[in-house]
Amino acid sequence: MNLRRVAAALSVPLAFVAGAAIAQSPETLSWLRKIQDATRNLSYTGTFVYQQGDKNETSRITRLAPADIERLEVLDGLPRELVRTRDTVRCYLPEAKVVKVEKRTPDRSFPALLPDQLNALAQHYDIVLGDTRRIGGFECQGVMLTPKDNLRYGYRLYADRATGMLVRAVTVDAAGNLIEQFTFTQLSLGHVTPDMVKSRHAGANFRVEDAQARPAQLAGWSLTSELPGFHKIVELTRRLGDSKPVGQVVYSDGIAAVSVFIEPLQGKGEPQRPGLASMGAIHVYTRQVANHMVTVVGEAPATSVQLIGNAVEYRRP
Amino acid sequence: MKERISALMDGELEGHAAEEAIESLRGEGEALESWRMYHLISDGMRDTRLLSAGFTGRVSRRLAEEPTVLAPGPLSSHLPGRTPAQRLAYAGAAIAAAIGLVSWLAFGPQPEVPRTEMAVGPAPSVAMTPVTVQLTSSANDYLLAHQGFSPRVSLQGMVPYVRTVAERGESNK
Repeated sequence: MNLRRVAAALSVPLAFVAGAAIAQSPETLSWLRKIQDATRNLSYTGTFVYQQGDKNETSRITRLAPADIERLEVLDGLPRELVRTRDTVRCYLPEAKVVKVEKRTPDRSFPALLPDQLNALAQHYDIVLGDTRRIGGFECQGVMLTPKDNLRYGYRLYADRATGMLVRAVTVDAAGNLIEQFTFTQLSLGHVTPDMVKSRHAGANFRVEDAQARPAQLAGWSLTSELPGFHKIVELTRRLGDSKPVGQVVYSDGIAAVSVFIEPLQGKGEPQRPGLASMGAIHVYTRQVANHMVTVVGEAPATSVQLIGNAVEYRRP
Repeated sequence: MKERISALMDGELEGHAAEEAIESLRGEGEALESWRMYHLISDGMRDTRLLSAGFTGRVSRRLAEEPTVLAPGPLSSHLPGRTPAQRLAYAGAAIAAAIGLVSWLAFGPQPEVPRTEMAVGPAPSVAMTPVTVQLTSSANDYLLAHQGFSPRVSLQGMVPYVRTVAERGESNK
């Protein structure tokens, strides 16, 4: 019940308190937890479609939970493969004969929604149980996250009622229009062998591009103001491809995340042109600040990504 | 000489003095370096949009291909709002720039940093409608770097990562 207290303390309008009262329903939050636990604890293999605009792309994902290994293979277009182990993500690009490696830094684990983060989520989203419907042979429970402002997208999650496995995830804008969608067209739980999560390129002699991410303080760089609900979750230096070290700061409201990349203009071969680009729910906004290229990447509406980008400033430390 | 170049940039030299200053820009001497440096500082202070790599080279080549005009127009007159005081400001910015460089270096090793590398204090953040640009495959590195921190991974596993690589196929079509 502590969200009601938070809501009362913030003196939000009555309607919002009512919304929060629904949002904190233990059943709703327990469904989010159930989805998270299923994602971590189930072994599964399935084919899903990523739909965005008029684009449909099919991929196969397989997870072997006891070994904590997950493999994603894009089946349409250029062959691409990603394998995630407990501490590393490898992205294999067979045509370029390149493998991009992202290692987990000591102070950082792969993101998880902790109970207090779930409560924080309810400050910015109304979270309610939705309808139940059959998707891909699974009887699914809907969980709806509706944003309380237009700085973030809404989510409609459909999870298998029996196991909590997420079968469909839809991102919508504030008006409810579809932005992008992931849906399993085929999914089987269990029966995963180690062979199934092994990269087909594991033995290949690819050029390795190691991100070399390490925690850092980016001296002098900050936001003039944070976007409501988005808090800094990590600050590091890393490489992008074979670049020189660049700074990365990540802000998140609990479910959406926005990364700010800061890199010196000098030495950049062909920089992304200044401006705004988008792909599904992801927006990329680039501008120059103090002779550095600032690139903001986030699963948030264009306005949010721009606001964060325009708030980036450099002050001599 | 540096002061001459600065005055030339501001359109304050005329006739013979201007010719002399322009003449000094031939070759790769100190004068040319100052010319480039002052323009870089001035661009930095005004948050001027980045030109693509090799821009200078391409313009020079195009100029070389242009027919020679035998009747040049008059030298452009005084540019508004450029005073010696502002030149001083540029010099100040250069000092600020040097300090800015140190702090950038402080967060990571950066071999081969060119001398012109600088940061000139907070750039004006003008809110305006940005240009809409196409994502190129170079954006994939950013997307991959970003996905690893998205809390959605805890609800969907690697599924959202498909967005990282989807674009590469498209951009190579």
